[in-house]
Amino acid sequence: MTTAQSNQSSQVAGAALRAAGTANGSMSQRWRGFSNLLPALLFLGLFFLAPLIGLLLRGVLEPSPGLGNYEQLFANSAYTRVLLNTFSVAGLVTVISLLLGFPLAWAITLVPRGWGRWLLNIVLLSMWTSLLARTYSWLVLLQASGVINKTLMALGIIDQPLEMVHNLTGVVIGMSYIMIPFIVLPLQATMQAIDPMVLQAGSICGASPWSNFFRVFLPLCRPGLFSGGLMVFVMSLGYYVTPALLGGAQNMMLPEFIIQQVQSFLNWGIASAAAALLIAITLLLFYVYLKLQPESPVGTSNAR
Amino acid sequence: MLQRNPVTATLAALALVVSASSAVAAESLNFVSWGGTTQDAQKQAWADPFTEASGIRVVQDGPTDYGKLKAMVESGNVQWDVVDVEADFALRAASEGLLEPLDFGVIQRDQIDPRFVSDHGVGSFYFSFVLGYNQGKVGGNAPQDWSALFDTATYPGKRALYKWASPGVLELALLADGVAADQLYPLDLERAFKKLDTIKKDIIWWGGGAQSQQMLASGEVSLGQFWNGRVYALQQDGAPVGVSWKQNLVMADFLVIPKGAKNKEAAMKFLANASSAKGQATFANLTAYAPVNVNSVEQLNADLAPNLPTAHVKDQVNLDYAYWAKHGEAISAQWNEWLVK
Repeated sequence: MTTAQSNQSSQVAGAALRAAGTANGSMSQRWRGFSNLLPALLFLGLFFLAPLIGLLLRGVLEPSPGLGNYEQLFANSAYTRVLLNTFSVAGLVTVISLLLGFPLAWAITLVPRGWGRWLLNIVLLSMWTSLLARTYSWLVLLQASGVINKTLMALGIIDQPLEMVHNLTGVVIGMSYIMIPFIVLPLQATMQAIDPMVLQAGSICGASPWSNFFRVFLPLCRPGLFSGGLMVFVMSLGYYVTPALLGGAQNMMLPEFIIQQVQSFLNWGIASAAAALLIAITLLLFYVYLKLQPESPVGTSNAR
Repeated sequence: MLQRNPVTATLAALALVVSASSAVAAESLNFVSWGGTTQDAQKQAWADPFTEASGIRVVQDGPTDYGKLKAMVESGNVQWDVVDVEADFALRAASEGLLEPLDFGVIQRDQIDPRFVSDHGVGSFYFSFVLGYNQGKVGGNAPQDWSALFDTATYPGKRALYKWASPGVLELALLADGVAADQLYPLDLERAFKKLDTIKKDIIWWGGGAQSQQMLASGEVSLGQFWNGRVYALQQDGAPVGVSWKQNLVMADFLVIPKGAKNKEAAMKFLANASSAKGQATFANLTAYAPVNVNSVEQLNADLAPNLPTAHVKDQVNLDYAYWAKHGEAISAQWNEWLVK
């Protein structure tokens, strides 16, 4: 039953791909739906792009015209450190949530349908709970006098509380937990669409379970891994609440730096320079992602 | 008969509502503060009696956001009439031209402690950074002054310090290092950071009052630098925390009027009322923050009075907001550099 269903869906997907292929061919057809986009474009242009440009202009106009803010940003070792912090935390969080999210997504795909839906609902449920409440819960769990440390000490496993919060460990634990749903959802969708027959064919042709996994299953999961990973990485770059509560001051990330400059010191020039940097990096990553994704319009090869 | 045409009736009703609300709008002002129990007390102590006496409605808004304040003044569309801000910001904003000068024909300047009034702002309340400790963690040996923070042998465990580059942490480090209270300014940053380096790995930074209370009450930290009102609240709840008022560092909030505020006249009257002896005393009794009006002290509740900074004047060390208003930004650059090192 499920095999038939997924068979059908893969056929539909194939048809859609072919249709997209022919649409790619002629330019006029490609832009046919453009007028439908106008309202959304107008809205974004007016309420997103225009203010954004205004913001970026401040970076080169305040307090005096020129690149002074950027110079200051790169000259001070503290800011370089903050930038480095931001990337290492985002990278670490992405890797860990991929490692934890992959088996979870796989489990959801493999278990009987009803169970899978329950598991997925539990993952979604965590997204609907207040971010602040979830972050504070981690604080209660991880702090020196918290549940985990008390239990471990009562069991005699440790005699000094582990330092799991107000440092990098705390930030990475808290953020990975928040990001896992963003990995699981796209990844699970991708896995669901993989035809189990392909894996069967692999093993019939003599592939060991390992090579079947690494050379058949994993490549098929690539779109989900890529889109989930990119989303998590980009979101982590701009995260504020969790690092502010679970991190130490030594682990300051770029968003916190920007807020400090905007709110406490009214130094909007350097804040927008830092924001521009964050945007530029994000766009660059997005471009790289599109290049690596074979299905994307700017990919080097459209054929698989 | 009158309701024959529902559309007309609705329109007429709408017109009534609109004219009524515009009549009210002419006599109202927006008050902005930090939210929570502080703003509740400000409403109860200042806004409600003020509305009753003058008929001017006070709309509560918030939280205070310096970036927003600046944006409003720059755009010329100022929605806020009275804003509760930190003292050093009040002075800096005044020098940047973001604030209206106050009318001291309406506000009685001579009744206000001169530490807490300037041409562009009048004290909202004042408070002290005090040395708070968890009694379970420090044992019978109660810490006395800021040097206890740096004595990790006698007082093991983490220390809680205020996270932002603002008046307080650098001063207490210098005091602990032996600098005399009247020699603090200009701040010797290098010396302060060197002193802080000795406990850097033991510091947990707090960014807000609730967070600091959680750290102290749970024993996550043994001792640290806290707002006096927050430690008092913990003691009221029966938490095992103690406090030392020695070298308590005085800091204040100011009430200011953003440049171009729409209800300037009403705002001046509101400030006069809030900074009056009665307004200040009522607010202090509700919050355990100290009054800026010198005549308020006798109106304080007898059981609360010993827990206010006003009862510990001889131990006070004044933080220099004017110095911070001028050098805050430069200090913060060095502060960040030291933090992430």
